Amino acid sequence: MNRKMKKQLQEFTFILPALVMFAIFVAYPFLQGFPISFTKWDGMSPNKVYAGLKNYTKIVGDGNVMNAVKNTLLFTAVTMVFSNLFGLLFALMISKKSKLNNVLRTCIFMPYCLSLVLSSYIWRYVYSDVFYEKFGIASPLGSTTWVMIGLAAISVWRDAGYCMVVYIAAIQGVSIDYYEAAELEGATWWQKFRAITFPMIAPAVTANFTLLLAWGMKVFDYPMAATAGGPGRASETVAMLIYNNLFTYFKAGYGQAIAVVFTISIFAVSTLVSKALRAREVEI
Amino acid sequence: MSKKLKKCLSVLLKLTIALLVISPFYIALIYSVKSKQEMVTDRLAFPKTIHWDNFTRAIETSNFVLALKNSLLTTLLAVIVITLTCTMASYIIARKNNRFYNLIYYLFVGAMIIPFQSIMTPLYINMTRWKLLNTLHGFVFAKIGFQIAFTVLLVSGFVKSIPRELEEAAAIDGAGMYAVFFRIVFPLMKPIVLTSIVLNALNVWNDFQMSLTLLQQKQVRNIPLTQYFFFGENSIELGLAFALFILSVIPILGLYLTLQKYIIGGITQGAVKG
Repeated sequence: MNRKMKKQLQEFTFILPALVMFAIFVAYPFLQGFPISFTKWDGMSPNKVYAGLKNYTKIVGDGNVMNAVKNTLLFTAVTMVFSNLFGLLFALMISKKSKLNNVLRTCIFMPYCLSLVLSSYIWRYVYSDVFYEKFGIASPLGSTTWVMIGLAAISVWRDAGYCMVVYIAAIQGVSIDYYEAAELEGATWWQKFRAITFPMIAPAVTANFTLLLAWGMKVFDYPMAATAGGPGRASETVAMLIYNNLFTYFKAGYGQAIAVVFTISIFAVSTLVSKALRAREVEI
Repeated sequence: MSKKLKKCLSVLLKLTIALLVISPFYIALIYSVKSKQEMVTDRLAFPKTIHWDNFTRAIETSNFVLALKNSLLTTLLAVIVITLTCTMASYIIARKNNRFYNLIYYLFVGAMIIPFQSIMTPLYINMTRWKLLNTLHGFVFAKIGFQIAFTVLLVSGFVKSIPRELEEAAAIDGAGMYAVFFRIVFPLMKPIVLTSIVLNALNVWNDFQMSLTLLQQKQVRNIPLTQYFFFGENSIELGLAFALFILSVIPILGLYLTLQKYIIGGITQGAVKG
């Protein structure tokens, strides 16, 4: 009995450090967030005023919140679809093992190593000095209609390489026997893709879509560095709005209420999307 | 003949795509070595004279050495602690499949979704109270806490694929749990450990959001913050800004190029199975 307890205690020491760090710096502040969201508070003064559900009812009619939600969703939709589309295309082209493909993979994944801040700055000049100066296409970052698409393009450039790597590994995991059998029956490239590759890499599709969804909903660095939320508020995202409520407008209580709704929404949307994708995996 | 032509075309297409993807790097590279005058006349042309001066001046005026030191220190410390704590935690979670460890596993799965904004205000207040705001170790602690869920999910998927026989044999020979872990299991985890090192290093090195919140004084600025503020001050003198950008990318690109073969295997391990 005593020995068993000693062993269990020893096992527990393996997880203890990770658990402690996680509890202090993630779980505890996460829980603290809920009471703050029911107060009117500037984020500094010692006295918080209890405000009941006021912050939450205010969110519904707040045009700035709706604007940020719209911008964030647009960004998420574009990055989710196009990072995966390009990632999959690149993966199909260079999944075979060869020296050249190795070099190409290294190149295509390289943007993922840059910080989001740096990617944003480089693209400001790609837009202004190449798109505009050379081709006469006005920078999307200056237009209220196109700014989120322009920012999403930066993210697609950076994240397509990541998606590609996941897809390549999934494609390499598909047994070659399937393809040989299909070739004997004279299947075309497209038929092979539809009937073999795509169904077999379904788990990778699910993983990539869910990940890009989470990244997209949390987007902060690109608009912060490339446009500072502008022009006007055309590229302010939910994450930025929460940041600004604490550090610019000194409305920590209200910002926290937005953060709580934001977290619940991300949770709900991610669960729904991953459930839907998993169900599709079984179907095909 | 037509097969050869097809092959040629496909290689050409692949090369064009790869070149297009890395072409924005060209802008950063040539802007970093152009003089002010040349920037005005023809920005995109290859520079007539290489203007190394941008680099020395960028280093001097941006406090680059300090930022580099801060970034290297925080990344190194965070990655070491994350790697040690998370490999140990993953090992026990994967091996002890009981209710308690499963509960912790699902806690981490859920925590992956938590956006930084939902803990930002409370964390900021706690850090101020604990005298950890504007300190490098405070930033490292918070970064470790935030990366634990992801890393445990990444690594524990891999541990399940390691056969138990070796451990069991060692345990029969009387080796303790720690000895079994560090002498037998940890070396077998090498591929996933390297993947998690690269991904965590990229994450800590490139972190902007948490840095902006927790490192608000000049002497603790890391590289992304230095990029952000230096660009704000030097949007007229682009050569300097881009010289700084190039310098700040070198360490992390070096790490990527040395360990790149571990990224492909590892990302899938974590992303698909985890």
